[in-house]
Amino acid sequence: QNILTVCFSVGYSAVALNHVIDFKEKKQEIIKPVSPSELFPSLPIVQGTSKRIKVLTRLTLVVCDPSHCNLLRSTSANIRLYDIIAVFPKTEKLFHIACTTLDVDLVCINVTEKLPFYFRRPPVNMAIDRGIYFELLYTPAIKDSTMRRYTISNAISLMQICKGKNIVISSAAERPLELRGPYDVANLGLLFGLSENEAKAAVSTNCRATMLHGETRKSACGVVYTVKKPRKVEEEETAVPACKKAKTQA
Amino acid sequence: MVRFKNRYVLAEVVSEDPRCRQCIEDRTLGLAVRDAIARVHGDYGLACCSISFTVKYLNAYTGTVLLRCRKDSYRLLCSALPFVRYLESRGQRYPCFLNTLHVGGTIRTCQKFLIQYNRTQLLRLLQNCTTEEERQCIQKSLLSCSLTEEQSQSGDEEEDDGTE
Repeated sequence: QNILTVCFSVGYSAVALNHVIDFKEKKQEIIKPVSPSELFPSLPIVQGTSKRIKVLTRLTLVVCDPSHCNLLRSTSANIRLYDIIAVFPKTEKLFHIACTTLDVDLVCINVTEKLPFYFRRPPVNMAIDRGIYFELLYTPAIKDSTMRRYTISNAISLMQICKGKNIVISSAAERPLELRGPYDVANLGLLFGLSENEAKAAVSTNCRATMLHGETRKSACGVVYTVKKPRKVEEEETAVPACKKAKTQA
Repeated sequence: MVRFKNRYVLAEVVSEDPRCRQCIEDRTLGLAVRDAIARVHGDYGLACCSISFTVKYLNAYTGTVLLRCRKDSYRLLCSALPFVRYLESRGQRYPCFLNTLHVGGTIRTCQKFLIQYNRTQLLRLLQNCTTEEERQCIQKSLLSCSLTEEQSQSGDEEEDDGTE
């Protein structure tokens, strides 16, 4: 909760709380996300504007095996309560699957160790077309020097393939002092090889597009299961162009 | 026209420890920033940035810092500022971070930005105020913010005396 207060005082207008699911243990159940109203009785107002701050919930799946991806297609209701879904692929095959067929909003790029696989252009281009964003973390870079080297080398290799599009920079801060303001994070983007425009977009417009993508994913999912109701079918037709509009709106 | 162009970076020191604010000095901050540049950009970066590097203005009550560097190397400086993790003074380490507010070409533009920023901060504090005295104190300082140096500084101090 401390972290959130610092976030708001520094100037972020929307924050997503992450919950990581790792598949190494045998039985994993997806728990319900913590509702933001439990943390704050009334959400404080963004600095500078008069809107309230949004707190979203986010799920990250660490996948080492293609069978783990079945969880995304399962009928567990809890998954749909999360606003944003991210996947963390560990092998090249999984990266390909995540970019091309999986129904996620973000693909996390590992920054804590040297990537076991090289990025190839076809899956990355398909992900850009589908509106999936690649995520880089910056908190390990602040903490440790070797992590910094891995972060920068992985980030630059990603930039060379995707030309700086569809990048989101986020923090995996566990303490309030590991957070950095939005202007600082955009400057970090310069270190990762982004141009100044792209770096500012990585903090602002791309994140907003991810949120919209998550919303369209939620509404589209709802349609598949209720085909009989004519009202929901209309929602499907508006959801599909909205997902293409998400990039131009943001 | 031959003139050295500088960039002035306005930053705010954010820390959890209230003692950290008391030990903010220009030397400790300068050392911390130089150390961060050296860690991130190495010897070349440190040498480039320290051509005209000074801490121009420091306000220990609000934690506002104004740094100066050359226009050619301000990107190196800005990209190394997120890596400042602690301030060290008299053998004590205080964890903190710097939040960049504004980069300007002259001190005057940074000052104008700082006055607007302080005004919004005072408004925010006004909302969280509990006692009536504090409210009046803050409202008075809000009305007296202006571009002359002494008044803007007294605006800062009044805000902190009212709430701390």
